[in-house]
Amino acid sequence: MIELSITGTNAITFPYLEVWDWRIVIYLFLGGLSAGMLVMCSIANLRIPKQPVEELAQCFKAPFIAFISLAIGAPFILLDLGRPFNSFWLFSTFQPLSLMSWGAWGVPAVLLGNALYMFAVIPKEQRYKLRLPILIKISEKLAPKMRPIAKLNFALGIFLGIYTGVLLSSFSAIPLWNNATLPILFLVSALSSGAAMIVIIAHKPEIKFLFTKIDIWLIVAELVVIMLFFYGLYTSTAPYKKAIEPFFSLTSEHFIFTMALIAIFLLLPLALRLKLGELKEFEDGFHGEFTKEQIFRMNFAAILVLAGTLILRAAIVYAGQLTKLGAY
Amino acid sequence: MPRYVMVIDVERCIGCMACVITCKKENDVPAEHYRTRVVEEVRGEFPHLRMELRSELCNHCENAPCIDACPTRASYRAKDGTVQIDKIKCIGCKACILACPYDARYSHPKGYADKCTFCEHRIKEGKKPACVETCLGKSRIFGDLDEPNSEVAELLKKYDASVRLEFAGTKPRVFYIKKKFAGGM
Repeated sequence: MIELSITGTNAITFPYLEVWDWRIVIYLFLGGLSAGMLVMCSIANLRIPKQPVEELAQCFKAPFIAFISLAIGAPFILLDLGRPFNSFWLFSTFQPLSLMSWGAWGVPAVLLGNALYMFAVIPKEQRYKLRLPILIKISEKLAPKMRPIAKLNFALGIFLGIYTGVLLSSFSAIPLWNNATLPILFLVSALSSGAAMIVIIAHKPEIKFLFTKIDIWLIVAELVVIMLFFYGLYTSTAPYKKAIEPFFSLTSEHFIFTMALIAIFLLLPLALRLKLGELKEFEDGFHGEFTKEQIFRMNFAAILVLAGTLILRAAIVYAGQLTKLGAY
Repeated sequence: MPRYVMVIDVERCIGCMACVITCKKENDVPAEHYRTRVVEEVRGEFPHLRMELRSELCNHCENAPCIDACPTRASYRAKDGTVQIDKIKCIGCKACILACPYDARYSHPKGYADKCTFCEHRIKEGKKPACVETCLGKSRIFGDLDEPNSEVAELLKKYDASVRLEFAGTKPRVFYIKKKFAGGM
């Protein structure tokens, strides 16, 4: 038996870490969503072989929403800073071992690439909505370069998706986060949420259907990686094994994490089931427009995926801080 | 350049908490925050109990994860090998607090990360850190490990020293010795 009495503890680290909260969860969720959308819409725009420039952009709302998503998400990490007005120091140096430094340089780079993408994919007939002549001119100049810009955004999306996971996994003092599966899990769930969001916003039935199919693979991959994530920690040493306890605990203190895991394993398979149903329904092609009921079902499945992604990030951010490498 | 380390003789600590208080006073540590702490650990079943009193503070690690995690170089290694924080450069991202396996850091109410500096300002004047100076049981010993005749060098030669969470690979510069009982912590 061990009895501890400690004089001089700080509330931020004892009895458990209370360092990062919902602001980081929102940042990771919106960052991941943006990353997934950039990758997915790049796939949509690149999958068709070269055609006349104006026909290339199959997916033009997604880069805009990805930009908004990241532009809203990024300030949440600024809200978490103790001294946000000092954040200009982030740009005075680049620290390759600091993931915060990668984020400081990487997120604006993604926003810039995303902005180029937004202008490059706007269809000719909608350019007038940009209003300012200079923006219309930029759009006209970038449109022929849509394919290389889409390739760039594919890479930026993968970078951003992995970055949101590596940001957490770089902390060796936090056993739940500190493993190489986490960035892969966050990337897969980011891609899945991106595909889900495109299903919601797309008008064209073939785009909705394409991303429903893609999302099926991503959900399956996500469920497998979640299981590998927990299995890897379970078979590891004591602090790592202890780190997953909150997810399998029936005590009132940690029950919320068990609930989160149950919710993830209900929402994602349910979304999978709905999507597989759609696949069967349209296996011999779709004829004409989707019915309202079909669209509702697709959107509902997509919302389940988005909810699962958010819950996953929240659970991992909060549960990670419950167990330390050097637990007393 | 010197290589400052602290040796903590666990058997000499009497748990008076003078180090905790004097550190707060010396470094103007805000209320409800601490740069050092004393852990009283009682092990066993009554009546076979054994108590250990252990001072804990920033380990000024050679492989400091806090320095790696800092995006602005606010956490840096000083020339004397200690780990210091440039308060002006700190943006309060708290990455260093998460990265430290020893829970040595806290978020200052003014927003920056704060921790033990080995009383950098006193070392520069040739003095010892305030906690060492005030330690009633002479449990805390401070000095330059590169100086072969220093007290810390002698103690580390003579006794089996351990560091906290050695497996973390951070190479701490705070060593714990137990004169009466051999073995790790």
